[in-house]
Amino acid sequence: MNTTFEKILKNPVSIIARKEIMDNVRNFWIILITIIFAILTVAMSAFGAYFSEGWQDLGMTIALMMSIVQLLVPIIALMLGYAAIVGEIEKGSMNTLVSLPVKRIEIILGKFLGLGIVLTFSIVVGFGIAGIIIGIMVPDVNYIEYLIFIAATVLVGLVYLNVALFFSTLFKKRSTALGGAIFLWFFFNMILPVILMGIAFAGAAFSDILEGTVPEWYYGIQLINPMSVYSALVTLNVEGVLSSASGAVQIQYPSFYTTWLMVLILFVWIVGFLLLSYQRFNKKDI
Amino acid sequence: MIEKTIRCPSCKNQLTINGNPGDKIQIICPSCNSKGVFTFPHEESFLSESNPIQVLNLTKKFNNFIAVNNISFSVKAGEIFGFLGPNGAGKTTTMKAILSLINTNSGQIKINGISIHKDPKVAHKYVGYLPERIAFYDNLTALQNMYFYADMKNTPKGECKPLLDEMGLGGALDKKVGKFSKGMQQRLGMACALIGSPPILVLDEPSGGLDPRGVALIRKKIREMKSKGTTVFLSSHILSEIQEVCDRVGIIDKGVLVAQDSVSKLSEKLKLKPKITIELEQISNEVVEAVKKVQGVEKVDVKGKNIDIICDPKSKSKVILAVEKAGGSVINIQTKEPSLEEVFLKVTGE
Ligand SMILES: Nc1ncnc2c1ncn2[C@@H]1O[C@H](COP(=O)(O)OP(=O)(O)OP(=O)(O)O)[C@@H](O)[C@H]1O
Ligand SMILES: [Mg+2]
Repeated sequence: MNTTFEKILKNPVSIIARKEIMDNVRNFWIILITIIFAILTVAMSAFGAYFSEGWQDLGMTIALMMSIVQLLVPIIALMLGYAAIVGEIEKGSMNTLVSLPVKRIEIILGKFLGLGIVLTFSIVVGFGIAGIIIGIMVPDVNYIEYLIFIAATVLVGLVYLNVALFFSTLFKKRSTALGGAIFLWFFFNMILPVILMGIAFAGAAFSDILEGTVPEWYYGIQLINPMSVYSALVTLNVEGVLSSASGAVQIQYPSFYTTWLMVLILFVWIVGFLLLSYQRFNKKDI
Repeated sequence: MIEKTIRCPSCKNQLTINGNPGDKIQIICPSCNSKGVFTFPHEESFLSESNPIQVLNLTKKFNNFIAVNNISFSVKAGEIFGFLGPNGAGKTTTMKAILSLINTNSGQIKINGISIHKDPKVAHKYVGYLPERIAFYDNLTALQNMYFYADMKNTPKGECKPLLDEMGLGGALDKKVGKFSKGMQQRLGMACALIGSPPILVLDEPSGGLDPRGVALIRKKIREMKSKGTTVFLSSHILSEIQEVCDRVGIIDKGVLVAQDSVSKLSEKLKLKPKITIELEQISNEVVEAVKKVQGVEKVDVKGKNIDIICDPKSKSKVILAVEKAGGSVINIQTKEPSLEEVFLKVTGE
């Protein structure tokens, strides 16, 4: 066998990742959410494909799918990650894990890799089935755009996973961490949009928005929310999502809204929270 | 006392200081007034590379509570070193520090001469650890759990099954650990600590939660490992357990290491006898003399109307009989068994 490959397999990071996958593929809630996720995307794609007469209209399908993503992907990610560290500490298995010949950064990376693979898997399964249905029902599917959409979804999922991972290093108890995860979901889905809306009001952008023009600074501030970054990333790359956005508001992204900026922001979130998790975990008494 | 000549780091002025090994003293340079702290080194032998575990001036605080207070000891190659102390003494905390599970406030720890602060990953390669609070991955089977640890220790998986068999878990290999009883988990924990035959074992209350057969099994295994040259550091608050298996013992109380000794020396001190206090209506010389003559009586003290007698437990009834024969009328009799605390007091000479 290839020695480099063997080395990778024997690395503590990949051993922990494999254990994490084995441990989580049997997690009832993860399986349940993945199934719900798959059913919803399949329903959406069937619905979207039924009404579309070609790939152009599938922008609408993806726009619909994006709303499922915004709801469910953070839930899957938070559920996978919220107990990753605190759960093992509270239970006691972290005692043995840390005592093994392994660095704490490797434990964090292993958890991230393993949980990230489980997350990616459930996203790919959900959208993969949907993709097959689209492929059957719609001629001339632009698979590249569809793959970009899936990749963007995985990226934003990893953002939430690492935010959850960080939260799991903050608390002393699993139950508190669960509360923290639920709060996070509310924060990103309800509180943060409301805050941004409030800022729009305060900055008198709202009347502009109602008139159909959104000031550039408001677009800038929206980049605080990873979900907004995600929708911008998809909208910029998938034809037809933009035009299918209903309502009077015409989305006109400013020139600094580029694919690379969006990808960069998501990467900064992912790496940043990974480092924060490590920094917290490293200081922790087990 | 050692005398030491040091040089001020800022003005290079020489000065001579005195202190005991391990002492930390504040220094103010007489010529340039810069301040510093100097720690007197322990004897060379203490930090000798041949001692598999060396702990030097270890202190651990939880917020303001000092759980481990400036303790130093070393475990010699091939010996079984027992850590004895009451609940909350700091045994687990010390062991956790050795395995880098907790951050320490000060002190040095070396495993096989490797500093755990500098290179924990390498240092941990030599150690098999059985934590006090043992837990596994509940969704995985006993064997899957062990395979994970074997992989992490870079040890062939073939070792796992025989070890589980040996620990009496041969019939539960494919059972999910979530369904294990406390004792079964303890046995699995011991099997995991033994993966890869590490040269050093750190076992925190190895017989916790075990049935008598399990206790015997683990003691046998510990002795077997010793005969193969393994160094064992174990903790317990059961005196008999420590006495039975350990070569040397460290006694820790309220975070302070109050004694380190060989078991034979310590058990001499540990052979404390119960103290019987007899309260009499009136004390007479005849009574005291009569008590002193009873076989097995070691010490007699008179305090007011009380006679404190230290004697063999078997002589108790003879003592009371003698008191009554000599005309003493007994109001009250109290017996105090030797406690761990008394052991500490005696050992520390307080
Ligand atoms: N994480 C922690 N936070 C605060 N205090 C702690 C923590 N861990 C231990 N302590 C305190 O430190 C002291 C020493 O605890 P430790 O667990 O080392 O005792 P022990 O000797 O192992 O006792 P036992 O025989 O009960 O196992 C105790 O007073 C305990 O309350
Ligand atoms: Mg303990």
